[in-house]
Amino acid sequence: METVAPYKTTNKVRIVTAASLFDGHDAAINVMRRIIQATGCEVIHLGHNRSVADVVSCAIQEDVQSIAMTSYQGGHIEYLKYMYDLLHEQHAGHVKIFAGGGGTILPVEIEELQAHGIARVYSPDDGRHMGLQGMINDLVEQSDFVTPNIFAANLSTAVAERNPAAIAQAISAAERNDMASIDFVKGAKQSPVLGITGTGGAGKSSLTDELIRRFLADFPDKRLGVISVDPSKRKTGGALLGDRIRMNSVSSPRVYMRSIATREANVAINKHVGDVVKILSYAGFDLILVETAGIGQSDSQITEVADVSMYVMTPEYGAASQLEKIDMIDYADIVALNKFDKRGALDALRDVKKQMQRSRTAFNVSPDTMPVFGTIASQFNDPGTNTLYSEIITLLNDRCAVGWKSSYSISEEMSEKIYIIPPERTRYLAEIAEENERYDAYVESQSDIARKLWQVKSTVEMLKK
Amino acid sequence: MSAIKELENLEIDLQQQLSQEVKKLLESWEKKKASYKGEFYSYTVRGKEIKVENYVESLSHTKIPKILLPRFKDWGEIVKWSMQENVPGEFPYTAGVYPFKRMNEDPTRMFAGEGSPERTNKRFHYLSKGMPAARLSTAFDSVTLYGEDPDYRPDIYGKIGNSGVSIATLDDAKKLYSGFDLSSPTTSVSMTINGPAPMILAYYMNAAIDQECEKYIVANNLVEQTEKLIEELYRDSGMARPVYLDEDGSNALPEGNNGLGLLLLGVTGDQVLPQDVYNECKIKALSSVRGTVQADILKEDQAQNTCIFSTEFALRMMGDVQEYFIAEKVRNFYSVSISGYHIAEAGANPISQLAFTISNGFTYVEYYLSRGMKIDDFAPNLSFFFSNGVDPEYSVIGRVARRIWAKAIKLKYGGNERSQMLKYHIQTSGRSLHAQEIDFNDIRTTLQALYAIYDNCNSLHTNAYDEAITTPTEESVRRAIAIQLIINRELGLAKNENPLQGSFIIEELTDLVEEAVLTEFRRITERGGVLGAMENMYQRNKIQEESLYYEQLKHSGEYPIVGVNTFLSSKGSPTVIPQEVIRSTTEEKEQQIKNVRSFQERNREKIGAAITKLQDDSVHNRNIFASLMDAAKVSSLGQLTNALYEVGGQYRRNM
Ligand code: B12
Ligand SMILES: Nc1nc2c(ncn2[C@@H]2O[C@H](COP(=O)(O)OP(=O)(O)OP(=O)(O)O)[C@@H](O)[C@H]2O)c(=O)[nH]1
Ligand SMILES: [Mg+2]
Repeated sequence: METVAPYKTTNKVRIVTAASLFDGHDAAINVMRRIIQATGCEVIHLGHNRSVADVVSCAIQEDVQSIAMTSYQGGHIEYLKYMYDLLHEQHAGHVKIFAGGGGTILPVEIEELQAHGIARVYSPDDGRHMGLQGMINDLVEQSDFVTPNIFAANLSTAVAERNPAAIAQAISAAERNDMASIDFVKGAKQSPVLGITGTGGAGKSSLTDELIRRFLADFPDKRLGVISVDPSKRKTGGALLGDRIRMNSVSSPRVYMRSIATREANVAINKHVGDVVKILSYAGFDLILVETAGIGQSDSQITEVADVSMYVMTPEYGAASQLEKIDMIDYADIVALNKFDKRGALDALRDVKKQMQRSRTAFNVSPDTMPVFGTIASQFNDPGTNTLYSEIITLLNDRCAVGWKSSYSISEEMSEKIYIIPPERTRYLAEIAEENERYDAYVESQSDIARKLWQVKSTVEMLKK
Repeated sequence: MSAIKELENLEIDLQQQLSQEVKKLLESWEKKKASYKGEFYSYTVRGKEIKVENYVESLSHTKIPKILLPRFKDWGEIVKWSMQENVPGEFPYTAGVYPFKRMNEDPTRMFAGEGSPERTNKRFHYLSKGMPAARLSTAFDSVTLYGEDPDYRPDIYGKIGNSGVSIATLDDAKKLYSGFDLSSPTTSVSMTINGPAPMILAYYMNAAIDQECEKYIVANNLVEQTEKLIEELYRDSGMARPVYLDEDGSNALPEGNNGLGLLLLGVTGDQVLPQDVYNECKIKALSSVRGTVQADILKEDQAQNTCIFSTEFALRMMGDVQEYFIAEKVRNFYSVSISGYHIAEAGANPISQLAFTISNGFTYVEYYLSRGMKIDDFAPNLSFFFSNGVDPEYSVIGRVARRIWAKAIKLKYGGNERSQMLKYHIQTSGRSLHAQEIDFNDIRTTLQALYAIYDNCNSLHTNAYDEAITTPTEESVRRAIAIQLIINRELGLAKNENPLQGSFIIEELTDLVEEAVLTEFRRITERGGVLGAMENMYQRNKIQEESLYYEQLKHSGEYPIVGVNTFLSSKGSPTVIPQEVIRSTTEEKEQQIKNVRSFQERNREKIGAAITKLQDDSVHNRNIFASLMDAAKVSSLGQLTNALYEVGGQYRRNM
């Protein structure tokens, strides 16, 4: 089979990838999303078990050109047709649907789906003829267009009405540097912005999701905008926008979320984040959260857009002296010491508090009063996260004079963890390897002794004869 | 000193360096060999003497030995072999955990599920027809796998009863297994369910208890009286009683179903029997049920993706179930099937499959120990499940798994022999079967089944040739079973029960794979153990990389697959759709929706208290399984799931 070169896009192509509802078959989509990304697209991967409503609202909020799905467990006719219909109902008929499901989607069903309007369903025979890159080229080429501005002159009204498609298109316009189209947001009063930054994998998205869940429950009539920034790959221009998959709470109709790629090298923040904040403010979101990728030096860029900025880190930073190198401890209003279930968490809490005290030259107060909070974002109803949430609301009230009355009840206790594996036991697998190898060595040596014994015994017998 | 004297001194010295166990081993070697040479071999299991014939005769009247020991004379070889290989049934169990295979019981266990509980019940009876033991394996539909109820919303509706059986209530579970005596030692039921495993297990246990109640009612001539009682209960509520209704709309039972389990459809034993009698039945059922619930949440997060609750909460519920098993003496039911199958099918190569699976297994061991359970109380309730592809390493997957497990449980955890024995189910690889030239798939499956049977698997599912297109039809599954039967009953070499031992390549592969697994253990340790590695998506990433590698080689043709990317027919080997494709019918979907809704309606007033108790136990960190057992009597699956979300948190997906 000849090798096919990746298709080169002329527009910025954004694609949602997912596996169908109640469907965990993500092997195929995980192969495809990687190739789609390597072909220069921005991929918003939603993972498995996604309802039509989830995928459609993501496609609209993210202003993508297409959706790429896998469905292996049957019900694909109902699922995909429903998706097509829902997109049309919500004025997003331009979003193309691509799908695959190996041999489980029968050729007659492929015809039926394509006749209904599904752009293409790829069969195993397609895979053989076109190759992996060939299928992706076909899909990306069909997605290489500018999403239509369906609101035209009514964009400002539609944004003000918080129509998610309109907000999405306004943001895309900003990203295209088409400032004329979003001129209307200029004078908007800015909503409070909470900036969240931190090292990769520290738990920013989990924590963001937990904060959103609490906010929605605490303020049943308030709305949230979420902006999440991930780095673009310099070589291909593609990006994996990986925060949305972690967010369970964004399915609420009171939340709008947008994932954006930096589209530039070595920056933590897309230069249009400020514009996006304006658009969301204009749309009347009460609070805007911005999650940015932590890439060291440029972390502090977040403070330029945020009213309150939070730094998320874990106890696993190495020696205490490393803390001096973390810029954000100087800049952040608040630090979440997440993964508080890890070994050394209490020491880390003390050290980070001390470092913050030093950086703020606040030697007249006890380090204990420093705004550093131990959290376990992966634990349900984590008390530490409750405390952090309350503190954030207090800070927002102070800084932005929003006058929010939180009724979130907090317990005074620190996050206490019920361990699955106690931190001091995490070496169990290495211990097993050592124990098994000790046995093997013992067998080897006993075997050697036995052999010699047998040889000696035999020799003695021979000599005696 | 004479040379002899000197040598004799050396001999004494060497004798002293030998450990007691090795001395014993050498002393009994000839006797051990002899025990496999006579006409019979005899051994004891749980105090009972078992006598097994040592030979099988071929048509040419050759006596084929079941177990062969090496011809070594060299003591060094004998020691090494005995301590690293040994005969089946002896530490480190490399060749198998039992001295001999079960007689008159093939390892066949076919995974099945489709449409309504009634339709799958019929398939179960078809599959176990003429088999000495009913070894059922349940495939649930996707709605069930994700803990929800059947519904009209189109993205849910299309999935009801497809890819497995739809089970949403206790009544569904009773119908599904009706006609199989769930307390009989010749019935064993496996259930492939993970996210909602505790709930489905609760349905299962309740179904078994109610069967026991039914047997009591029949034995004590209480049938009429009970029927009357149930009628009264229903007259008061004004609702219709649920019924067994097959696809053709008839109440007739399929061939082989004697109706056991249906008397109490729509009620539970405690509603019609005095509490003490009910409790007796419960004790009896719990101590007799034999089977497996997959319930392995670690590999779900790594590969199969049917997670619904936060991983931590899911793990906690696994621990609760195991604790309940210990307290209630549920001895013959595996509380978890630690699975590599999904890891492999998601794309992992055999070494990663094995390393991740066994490391998951040890994680459960560590967790249960940390909850205060004793190794010998829970280790025998753990079982394993692997995938078997065509790669060379698959020829030794059982051998390596058994050996690593036995050594670690004995040496590191001090577990007894029962705890050291790793038992596993194995399924031929689905991913190795393709949509093109589907007739060739049976050939792949045959080779994989041969690997598995030679490796002494404890049970085996063979995939059908239409694997890439549909869940199996009666016709395709029959061929798949035939593959196993032909090997087990016709293939002469398979009469020998340790055919792999003594082969140079097998020994080499065993050592290589074992070493590779231990190396992987160290890599995982560097990442903070299994849970720490999962946090960084180490396992998921590795699996996905290996999957991509395979697909690239498959699509470029570098990895040859006959009829798929090489050796194509003159027409290019296009996908040809088989005669029959399994789909649930509209009637079945409607029936499942109707049934779950009337179940909910019927129990509207009872559910509140049950759910409150369940949530309260959870919030206060008490074991929730007992209250889940009670709540399962009056709640649908979706109701239980949603109640638990409120106290345990939802799953957060990973890349
Ligand atoms: C791998 C696999 C699994 C793995 C999944 C691991 C994972 N994380 O993905 C495991 C073992 C976990 C699994 C579980 C189940 N499985 Co499964 N599984 C398969 C299997 C073997 C391969 C599917 C696959 O991923 N192939 C690899 C892809 C890359 O190749 P392909 O399918 O040929 O696809 C080609 C094109 O269609 C195209 N393509 C596909 N999708 C897309 C998308 C886009 C955007 C593009 C461009 C192209 C494209 O790419 C390929 C090019 O050649 C199939 C059988 C088979 N051999 O096909 C069964 C199969 C899909 N599974 C099945 C079932 C029933 C299940 C379960 C429901 C069983 C149960 N009851 O418990 C569970 C469900 C679990 C869940 N989470 O929901 C059934 C579905 C039956 C049906 N629809 O009627 C099948 C068909 C097997 C069978 N015959 O029973 N399964
Ligand atoms: N042990 C532990 N793990 C956590 C905690 N919080 C999050 N995690 C895990 O850490 C991993 C990363 O979490 P994310 O929320 O995606 O982190 P992130 O900082 O948004 O990651 P990026 O956006 O990729 O930089 C996941 O596996 C989480 O489950 C915690 O408090 N304790
Ligand atoms: Mg993130």
